[in-house]
Amino acid sequence: MEDSKGLWKIKYESDLFPEFGREIAASPGGENIFSCIQCGTCSGFCPLSLYMDYTPRRIIAMTRAGFKEEVLSSSMIWMCASCYGCTVECPKEIKITDVMYALKQRAIKEGVYPRRFLVPILAHSFFKSVWKHGRNTESHLIVSMYMKSNPFKMLTQSLLGMKLWLKGRMGIMTDSIRDKKSLQSLLQAVKKIQNGKAH
Amino acid sequence: MSAFDIQENGDFRIGVFVCDCGINIAGKVNVSAVAEFAGTLPNVVVTREYKFMCSDPGQELIQNDVKEFRLNRVVVASCSPLMHEATFRRATAEAGLNQYFFQMVNIREHVSWVTENEYLATEKAKALVAAAVRRVKVHRALESKSVPVNPDVLVVGGGIAGIHAALTIANAGKKVYLVEREPTIGGHMAKFDKTFPTLDCAACILTPKMSSVKAHKNITLWTYSEIDKVDGFAGNFTVRVKRKPRYIKEEDCVGCNLCVEACIFKEGKFEDEFNVGLSKRKPIYMPFPQATPSVVLIDPETCLHFKTGKCKQKCVEVCERGAIDFNQQEEFKEINVGAIILATGFKTFDPHRISEYGYGVYPNVYTSLEIERLVNASGPTQGEVLMRDGRKPKSVAIIHCVGSRDRKTNAYCSRVCCMYSLKLAHLIKERTGAEIYNYYIDMRTPGKGYEEFYDKLLQEGVHFIRGRVAEVTNWAMVPSEEDKLIIRAEDTLIGVARRVPVDMVILSVGLEAHDDAGEVQRLFNISCSKEGWFLERHPKLAPVSTFTDGIFIAGACQGPKDIPDTVAQAGAAAAEALAMVDIGHVELEPNTANVETVMCSGCKTCISMCPFSAITFDAENWRAEFNEALCKGCGTCVVTCPTGAAQQHLYTDDEMYEEIEGVLHYV
Repeated sequence: MEDSKGLWKIKYESDLFPEFGREIAASPGGENIFSCIQCGTCSGFCPLSLYMDYTPRRIIAMTRAGFKEEVLSSSMIWMCASCYGCTVECPKEIKITDVMYALKQRAIKEGVYPRRFLVPILAHSFFKSVWKHGRNTESHLIVSMYMKSNPFKMLTQSLLGMKLWLKGRMGIMTDSIRDKKSLQSLLQAVKKIQNGKAH
Repeated sequence: MSAFDIQENGDFRIGVFVCDCGINIAGKVNVSAVAEFAGTLPNVVVTREYKFMCSDPGQELIQNDVKEFRLNRVVVASCSPLMHEATFRRATAEAGLNQYFFQMVNIREHVSWVTENEYLATEKAKALVAAAVRRVKVHRALESKSVPVNPDVLVVGGGIAGIHAALTIANAGKKVYLVEREPTIGGHMAKFDKTFPTLDCAACILTPKMSSVKAHKNITLWTYSEIDKVDGFAGNFTVRVKRKPRYIKEEDCVGCNLCVEACIFKEGKFEDEFNVGLSKRKPIYMPFPQATPSVVLIDPETCLHFKTGKCKQKCVEVCERGAIDFNQQEEFKEINVGAIILATGFKTFDPHRISEYGYGVYPNVYTSLEIERLVNASGPTQGEVLMRDGRKPKSVAIIHCVGSRDRKTNAYCSRVCCMYSLKLAHLIKERTGAEIYNYYIDMRTPGKGYEEFYDKLLQEGVHFIRGRVAEVTNWAMVPSEEDKLIIRAEDTLIGVARRVPVDMVILSVGLEAHDDAGEVQRLFNISCSKEGWFLERHPKLAPVSTFTDGIFIAGACQGPKDIPDTVAQAGAAAAEALAMVDIGHVELEPNTANVETVMCSGCKTCISMCPFSAITFDAENWRAEFNEALCKGCGTCVVTCPTGAAQQHLYTDDEMYEEIEGVLHYV
C-alpha cells in the first residue's frame, strides 16, 4: 500500500493474495507469466509507459507476487492501447496485451477499477453505443464520456469539436446499421460464452 | 655451431627488430624513431620495424636478415619475454645462430602500457634498446640441457577433479599416485544428491569412477594421507607423503562393518563429518556406504581405548581378520614423479560470519551443503526433508550469494550457487510441495541447459525475489508471522520492502579456498591469488599450468567452478601432464650457476646458502664444486659469493654491467 506521500510502506506477506498470480495465469493468454525474467523489454517498448503509474514489467512482477489490490486499481492496465508491441517483442513469448485484458476484466468484475478514469468509461460508452446502434458515433461517445467523468472538461474541447464538425470530420447524427437485432443476438451469444467460460 | 658465432672481440653484426604490436606499442612509442636510433648504435647492421614481429612473416624477416646481413646477434624489442622469448629464440636458432645470441627488450609491459607521455615512452624504449645492444655482445653460446623425465604422475586431491585426472593418466598407461587427505575419495561431489541441470544422481555417476580408481592397476591410492615435502624440478620431483594412522590395516579390512556394530558405543555420539554434523557416528566408522577404499577408521579423539585405555576392545574381538591395530604409527613414503596435478578443491563459506542471517542461532537456518545431505537418499533423513524440529517445511527461503559478491567477505561470484539453489528449490518443491522463495541479486545461469533449467523453475511456480536479504529474524510483527522465520528484503523489481514468513531458510554459501591453501602453495612453490585460489600461468592460454613447470592445477582449487568445468579442466591437466612425461625428457634453461675456480677462496658461504644442495666442498683443491644437474638457477650463491667467483649463465656480471651501462650512457 502507498501512504499519503505516495511512498511504499513495508509489505507483509499476509496482505498479499498468493492465488492471484495463478488465477491470472489460468486466464486466456496468461499462461506464460511465470516465465517472465523481468527484462523490461515490454516497458521499454510500450509507447505509453511514460504515463503509467506502474510499467508493464512491474505489473507482471506484482501479479505473480500476489499484489492484487495494487494491480487491479492501477491506471496502467487501462492505459494499454493494445498496440501489441510488448507481445511481439517479449523474449519469453508472454502475451502481455492479453494479460492486460485479463486484468481489466478482473478489475471490472471486482469493481475496483479507477471510477473517474477515462479509459474504462470510454470503453463502456463505446460498447453501449455499438450494442444499441451497431455503429459508434464519435460525437455521442465524447459527450457521454465527459458527462460521466468531468463535464467541465468538455468546454475546453468544444472548440476543437466545432472545428471538426465544420470540416465534416465529426457528425451529430446517430450512425446505425440496418439489422440491429441480428447483431445484438450475436453479441449476446458472445457474452454468454464469456460469462460461462471466464469466471 | 655456425660460422657466424663470435665469442669475444670479434666483428659484431647486430640486427635490431622493433615490433609495433598492432597499436599496443606503436600507440605510445614512436617505433620508427626507436628503429632509426638503433641504427646509429655501434655494430648495429640492420634495424627493422614490423607490425607483428611474432607472426610468421615477422620471424622470417629476422631469419632472412640474419642470412642476408650475416648477423651474429639479434635484439628484438617487443613484449614480455614470458610471452615470446621462446618464439624469438627459436627463430634465431633456425637462422643458424646459437639461440642465446639473442636479447629481448620489453617495450610493451615495461614501456607503452605503463607510460602516459609519448615522448618519454619513446626515450625509455631507446634507452632499453641501447642497453640490450650492449648486453647482447657479451652473450655466450650456451646449450640447453635435456634431462630424462620420470613417467609417473602424482595427483593431489581425490575429489572429482583428482579422480578424473588420475583415471585419464592411468588409462594412458602411466603410473599414478592419488593422494587424498580424507579417509575416502569422492570429495564434495559424493555428498551431493542430484546434479544440475540434468538432475542425474551424483552418486550414480561418481561411485563407478571411485571404484575404478581403487581397481585400476596403474593407480596407487593413498587416502588419509598428506604431502609432506616436495623436492626436485619438472620431470624429476621427489615427494614425501605422510600416511596418517587410521588404526586399521588397510590391506586386511574388507569393510564388513562388524567392528562398527560391536563398538561399545551403542549409538553414534559424535558429529558425522560426512553428513556435515546432521547425524552422529561412533569412534570407529565407515565415512559413508560407498567410501573408497572400503575401509573403516578409528578416530583417536573419541575412541575410549585412546582416551582412557580402559575399553573392552569389542571391535578387536569381533574382527576375524585381525585388521585392527591400535599401535599403528604415522608412516612416510617417498616417491619419484615427473609431473604433479593439484586438485585440492575448495571449502564452503562459513555463514557464522554473516550474523544477520542467524546461522547457528535459529535451528531452521541451514547451509546449502547441509540441505544436500538432507535431500540425499543416503543422508541422515533418508532423503525426507525434515527440519531440526522434525516438521516438514511448508515454506522455504533460499538466500543466494551468502559469502559471495560482498566486499566484507568475498568480492567474487562463486559461480555455482545460482544453479545449485535452483536445483535445491526444485528438489524441495518436488518432495514437500512447499512454497519456495529465492532471493537473488542477479540470476547467473551461464551453461549448457542452465537457462532452460531456470525457465523450468519459473514455470514450476518457485518465487524469485530480486534483492539481497537484509536479515532473517524471528521477531513477528503481525500474527501470521508468529513462530516463523521472517525474511526482510527489498523486492527491487516491484519496488517495495517485503517481509516473508517461512519455516526454513537455506543459505547458498559460496566457495572459498582451503584455509591451508597458502601452505600448499609454498610446499609446491606455485602462486596464489589474493583470495587463495591457485594461480594459472595464463588465464586464457595456459589455464591448467602454473608458474612452476611440471605442476598443473585442476578443479576448484583454481577458482569456483561446477562439475562439468572441473572435469573438463581435470582432463586438460591430465593431457598436459601426459604430454610432459610421455616425451621422456625435459629441456632445461641453461641458467645454472658455475664457479670460476681461480677466484674461489673456499669460504663455503655459498654451500650453506644453496637451497637445493647443489654445491659441495672440494677439500683437496679448497674450493666449491657446483653440481649443475641440481642447480635450479635461483642465483643465491652469486649474490652471496664475496669474491665474485660464483657466476650464473644468462645473468653473468659482465652481462648485467653492460646492460646497466647501456641505459646510463643513453640517459
